[in-house]
Amino acid sequence: MKFFRHHKLISVALVGAAALTLAGLINPAHAADGGDKKTLSVSAKAPINTMDSSLNTDAYGAQSLNNTMEGLYRFTGQKLEPAVAKSIAKPTNDGKRYTIDLKKTKWSNGDPVTANDFVYAWRRIVDPKTASQYSYIYSGIKNADAITAGKKKPDQLGIKALGPYKLQIDLDHPIPFFDTLMSSSQFYPLNQKVVEKLGDQYGLASKGMVFNGPYKLQNWKVGDTEWTDVKNTSYWNAKNVKLNKVKYYTISDPNTGLNLYDTNVLDRYQNLNGDTARQLANSKDFSTDPANSTYYLELNQKKIPALKNAKLRQAMSLTINRNDLSNIILGKTGIPAHSLVPSKMSKNPQTGKDFVKTDQAMADRKYTAYNPTLAKKLWQEGMKETGQKELNLTFTADNTDTTKKLAEYLQNNMEKDLPGLKMTISSVPFKTRLQREASGEFDMATSAWSADYPDPTNFLDLATTGNPQNNGKWSNKGFDEQEKAATSTNANNPTARWQNMQNAQHILTQEQGIIPMYQDTTASLTKPDVRGFNITPTGQYDMAAVYKK
Amino acid sequence: MTKYILKRIFYLLLTLLIIASITFFMMKGLPGTPYTNQAKMSPAQLTMMNHKYGFDKPLYVQYFIYMGNLLHGDLGTSFQFNNQPVTQLIGDHIGPSMQLGLQAMIVGTVLGIILGSIAAIRKNSWVDATATIVSILGLSIPSFVLAILLQYYLGYKWQLFPVALWHGFSYSILPTLALAAFPLASIARYMRTEMVDVLHSDYIELAKAKGDTSRQVIIKHAIRNSLIPIITVIGPMAVSIMTGSMVVESIFSIPGIGNQFVQSILTNDYPTIMGLTIFYSVLMVSIILIVDILYGIIDPRIRLGKGGKA
Repeated sequence: MKFFRHHKLISVALVGAAALTLAGLINPAHAADGGDKKTLSVSAKAPINTMDSSLNTDAYGAQSLNNTMEGLYRFTGQKLEPAVAKSIAKPTNDGKRYTIDLKKTKWSNGDPVTANDFVYAWRRIVDPKTASQYSYIYSGIKNADAITAGKKKPDQLGIKALGPYKLQIDLDHPIPFFDTLMSSSQFYPLNQKVVEKLGDQYGLASKGMVFNGPYKLQNWKVGDTEWTDVKNTSYWNAKNVKLNKVKYYTISDPNTGLNLYDTNVLDRYQNLNGDTARQLANSKDFSTDPANSTYYLELNQKKIPALKNAKLRQAMSLTINRNDLSNIILGKTGIPAHSLVPSKMSKNPQTGKDFVKTDQAMADRKYTAYNPTLAKKLWQEGMKETGQKELNLTFTADNTDTTKKLAEYLQNNMEKDLPGLKMTISSVPFKTRLQREASGEFDMATSAWSADYPDPTNFLDLATTGNPQNNGKWSNKGFDEQEKAATSTNANNPTARWQNMQNAQHILTQEQGIIPMYQDTTASLTKPDVRGFNITPTGQYDMAAVYKK
Repeated sequence: MTKYILKRIFYLLLTLLIIASITFFMMKGLPGTPYTNQAKMSPAQLTMMNHKYGFDKPLYVQYFIYMGNLLHGDLGTSFQFNNQPVTQLIGDHIGPSMQLGLQAMIVGTVLGIILGSIAAIRKNSWVDATATIVSILGLSIPSFVLAILLQYYLGYKWQLFPVALWHGFSYSILPTLALAAFPLASIARYMRTEMVDVLHSDYIELAKAKGDTSRQVIIKHAIRNSLIPIITVIGPMAVSIMTGSMVVESIFSIPGIGNQFVQSILTNDYPTIMGLTIFYSVLMVSIILIVDILYGIIDPRIRLGKGGKA
């Protein structure tokens, strides 16, 4: 059969291919901001699930709310400053009442931000009808617990407007970390008129929403994988907002993120982890910021009574080389953790010393230092005391690549250094792991906690007797007493409270009731001309301070 | 023919009912809850939330409630995206997925027919060998691997096309090529095999004897008659493109429905999982139904049953 060289179909195909190529060349990969110094392009790991501050539950939504809304106070880097409030208020009535004067600020539609906007928003979040997953954070505000349990009405919450710009907040008991709590998105005001107009569609699209923060969210609807924050000219501090636009792109594939960064579509590629972070750790654009979250091991003392023996727990902890764990396994995206409380989160109000770097805390590092010889000795003593020759443990861990590697590393070290220990790894999805921990169906498990507010008690409370998150069921009377004093008796005495928390940390670390492994970090690639990405104690970035040089 | 179509539609609805039921119970068997803040919620709060969403009701009650709503076209609201109706979520994300799917089908089918035809015409030549190699590669390289390679070389290294994102037609080219490889290869193989047979048939010889040119013979007789079996593979191919697009959408950061499906499974977003499963099922069984009907039209023996007279 003769091959016909000028067949129409071939011509069509060639023309088609040429057209496709041409289309690509006409619209080549472009820098998303076109080199504009007032526009920043940033990656996001996940889309915004909601812009309703009463309903948001994740860090990505919190960042977006932090960009566009504002509460009484705001963190600028590490410093807490008045935002809608005129000043940081001092409590009265034994630490149980705050009277706060508000600045005359505006929503993006020109409405004034009033005390009533706070009253409305706070009552809305504790109302069981709202079904907020974060209503528990209001615990301590007068009547909040009773309201969330459905025993009292939302209008009985301890907040009232004394005038359009004057707010009174009453507490059930003093909350030592009240000021930092007020910077969280759950305590932002809401424009009642707007929320009621949009009804159950509030927070699902930017259309119709109003903002009182540095930026406004534009042309966004829920599920969008890209969104843009534009400068809010109605913002009371707009003159100090340096960028006109912040564009966010949801990137889930690390190679894609890297390619977009290298082709200058992204100015900053955030949330690097695993192999990507390992490969890029030595890049000049690579940086990490400590997050207020700790990854730790829980040992189920109820199911495996032998684990009540402190020497066995201490021995297990001493087999972990936390520096290797952070540098090799986590690719420098983690910081070795020697305490359940993360570093760079809370400082001594008097001396400014980091909570985990006090003399006591540094001395306690002997319980978390890599020491296989001592580990073996303690293990053998512990095994003798509990009358055991061998111990078989199932290690429940998340099935992510990084956690699998971490589990194998721990299994290898512990089985090598602890004679008679046999560990079986059970890699399961995140939700399965949570369920097993909550129901006590585990011997040993990885766990993590990220701060709702930057206070040591937010972590130390996890280990108190009867706490729902204390899955390992470690219990220590002395520890419980110190924690109770820190949150009640000495709540108004910063010095005594600090000491209570230090004592609690000492007991927990000494006992290794919970075995800390590493503190999480946010790893990123940032172009050299981008400045001002300073993480706040609440784990967000104050985008009002970010600029391009 | 009408009886045949009605019978097929009945089976389609039955299939959908079975799929929806199995998915519902499997989904309820997933560990954990759909609450994103589950780790921090108190037991009392969990109880309250379960009551609000009806998870404290017996499973069979939940099933009948869901099915009742489904009959009214209500797929519920998403957990991941608070209060967003699942139907709206699908509507918002279907555009890019449909565009990609259609483009991949068109590119794959057209190029597959061309490649297969050329290979058959030049049987046992280097052209045929090359087409075979291209087909084997297309069938054996997964779409997501091809996506990564295309992105790296054509997007990042040579910068001919955008690396990722979704801002216009040019952004759809690389993902389209990644998705089109499999249908292109399949169709090329089918086309070649079928056309080799057709080219040796009596009516081709007759056409030649009647003085038709090579071009006329190929276009009027060979290609046309070789296309019939292609209809058979279009259905399964469309399905493979739909499933393949989940990963490809994720790689190219495309706001499609496939990407959303993966996210909903990861977050235990029950209503969205159910909604998207039903949506995909409707799409698949509809494709199969169309193929069956087309086949019934093309070959009457099929609708009359085996051995029946035309």
